[in-house]
Amino acid sequence: MLNFRLSSYPLALALLVGSVSAFAQTPPIEPVDDDDLRASVAGEWLNWRGNQGSWGYSALDQVNRDNAHQLQLAWSWAMDDTGAGEAAPLVHNGIMYVPGPRGVIQALNGASGDLVWEYRPGISGVAEGSDAVPLGPEQLGDAAMPATAFAGVGRGVQKNIAIYGDRIFAATENASIVAIDANSGLLVWESPTADPALGYHYTAGPIIANGKLVTGITGCERYKEDVCFITGHDPDSGEELWRTSIIAQPGEPGGDSWGDLPLQFRAGGDAWIAGSYDPELNLVYWGTAQAKPWARVVRGTDGDALYTNSTLALNPDTGEIIWHHQHLPGETHDMDEVFESVLVDIGDRPSLFKMGKLGILWQLDRSTGEMISATDIGYQTIVNVDPISGAVSYKDGLLPRIGQQIDMCPSTSGFKSWRAMAYSPQTSALYIPITLNCELATFGPTEQVLGGGGTGPVRRINYPHPDAGENLGELLVLDIPSGELKWRYRSRAPVNSAALTTAGGLVFIGDWDRRVFAMDAENGEMLWHTRLNTSVQGFPISYMVDGVQYIAIPAATGGASWSAMLPRELAPELRRPRGGNSIHVFALPEYAR
Amino acid sequence: MRARKHIAVIGLCLLLAATNRFQPVSSAQNASASISDGIFNEEQAVRGAEQYRARCASCHSNDLRGNSNSPSLLGMSFMFVWEGRSLGELYDKMRREMPTDQPGSLTEQAYADVLAFILASNEFPAGAAELIADQSALDRITISSQ
Repeated sequence: MLNFRLSSYPLALALLVGSVSAFAQTPPIEPVDDDDLRASVAGEWLNWRGNQGSWGYSALDQVNRDNAHQLQLAWSWAMDDTGAGEAAPLVHNGIMYVPGPRGVIQALNGASGDLVWEYRPGISGVAEGSDAVPLGPEQLGDAAMPATAFAGVGRGVQKNIAIYGDRIFAATENASIVAIDANSGLLVWESPTADPALGYHYTAGPIIANGKLVTGITGCERYKEDVCFITGHDPDSGEELWRTSIIAQPGEPGGDSWGDLPLQFRAGGDAWIAGSYDPELNLVYWGTAQAKPWARVVRGTDGDALYTNSTLALNPDTGEIIWHHQHLPGETHDMDEVFESVLVDIGDRPSLFKMGKLGILWQLDRSTGEMISATDIGYQTIVNVDPISGAVSYKDGLLPRIGQQIDMCPSTSGFKSWRAMAYSPQTSALYIPITLNCELATFGPTEQVLGGGGTGPVRRINYPHPDAGENLGELLVLDIPSGELKWRYRSRAPVNSAALTTAGGLVFIGDWDRRVFAMDAENGEMLWHTRLNTSVQGFPISYMVDGVQYIAIPAATGGASWSAMLPRELAPELRRPRGGNSIHVFALPEYAR
Repeated sequence: MRARKHIAVIGLCLLLAATNRFQPVSSAQNASASISDGIFNEEQAVRGAEQYRARCASCHSNDLRGNSNSPSLLGMSFMFVWEGRSLGELYDKMRREMPTDQPGSLTEQAYADVLAFILASNEFPAGAAELIADQSALDRITISSQ
């Protein structure tokens, strides 16, 4: 692996490189350090959810309750349509770094929308002095795809990226981690972590924790000789420093939680959402997905299946699991708990808030992993949950048996998904995107052979949630720590973006039917809305350049199969374009150009 | 002049369509409707494999076993979902929804070819004639492992 750090390079060389378009007009960025990531200065957006605690909150207030109705488009930018868009942009020194499908990263001038550079895997050049060898068709084998090909459902997604020093870091569809020079868009190093031909890939990007690059892999549903993992890399060299197995292995602590299954039949635990970081405790919090196949009866064990469907607290220097909490031991309906960890101190108690597909809001002590409270929002019909201990038990008749239909809410799509919640310190509330749905589900068998496995088949009949009428979408606003309902907004179309809160007293969300909204975070009053080219999809952010606050809203298609299935089946009158991955940036009229 | 060209093109299309109606049709599609009667041929399955690799494999995998987002098209997982349903239902779903990024973008015959490849991959026997892209005929064929 390359031991090279770009500090300077000849301007003439940079001008010769085709991937650089506006380099000459853009001064070098100030290197980002740990203090910058921790400070989360208003105007910058250095972590995928704003701050290291994943609040999805901007401290900017130029756009506020009084003037949000005036928001106008400042600029927009079309992205590739080669895969799903679920972009979580970053902003530093006025440059927006946008992760696109299939590994493309584009640096845009945050005020004008001009392209500064773009990185295209296998096409962009290698930084001067770097001996990086980009993965090519020979290394990728069966996983190789033409650069312009559609990645496939759920593939090619690049949710978040990280910035540190003068580099951008990303995790690829080909199961590698890359470092890109943030000034030129040139590849500095590429570090493979697994064989993509076995299905391994990334959809979540890295985060930086105590100077380490922490990344979780996905694509672990098929039976193979290896299992899901989280790694720590040296951002400077790309060297893999540690690797922590998400699956408790036979003979190791927790290994018996999979019964007698050999390692190759312990699938799942995909780490497909990026984590959060508490620099005071020096702990990374990373979620893991459910075990695969989904149903216990198909997996061949009714054990807890550690460390699936858990929150892991990891030491970023060593990868050691300091504590874990398994939210749904032995999960058996595809009820993922992998999602974002929102770190909020409640009084003197450092807490972690999290919600999975079932719509249970978990509050954990993030120093110990102790359960503080579990608030069932009351939509699910699958488990009983103890509000104090967080212990869950399955309701009678709800354990799947092969070929027997069960009636469950939510559907296997879940109420909560990757669309991250936001926290506002102004209101002490969480703003949680929800999709309302239920399902008649019949789980089926799969072959227990190497290469087999997967999720297991499900005959599914989706139907609307009985509490929601014709509405599929909801923004649920819960006071914390009480968990009491503050207000809710419901819509026919699924709420399809992460939430963004701002110090202007606003919350921004968007829906599948192309609408983006600004609401009063206190009471849900609708203050502004407009309509984009396609579904609002991704992670909205806010930032400031030259004294102007901007709101950036990603729009996109693609994503998990169910994200299109539910509206297609339950709201067929809603139609959207087939493509349209893009980003739309809004400002007040005196600043919009 | 332009109108005459259009008439000529339309005429050619009608002629081709009419010709297509008299192409040999799989005997199974005409009569009994059993999936095990050799309702496609090997050449068609080979063509379907090429289409599959180009348009389907990125989601359903090269080996048809799928991934977390795309169901397996192979073996017991496939049969669990489709057993007892008609080939026409599967064909209709493919035409309406696949490929996910560009539904309906293959020709009808290409969809039938992919269907033939899926059947061949699931070890249903090939026969002499091709599976024809005829919705009503496909509706009469039941997907059954028996």
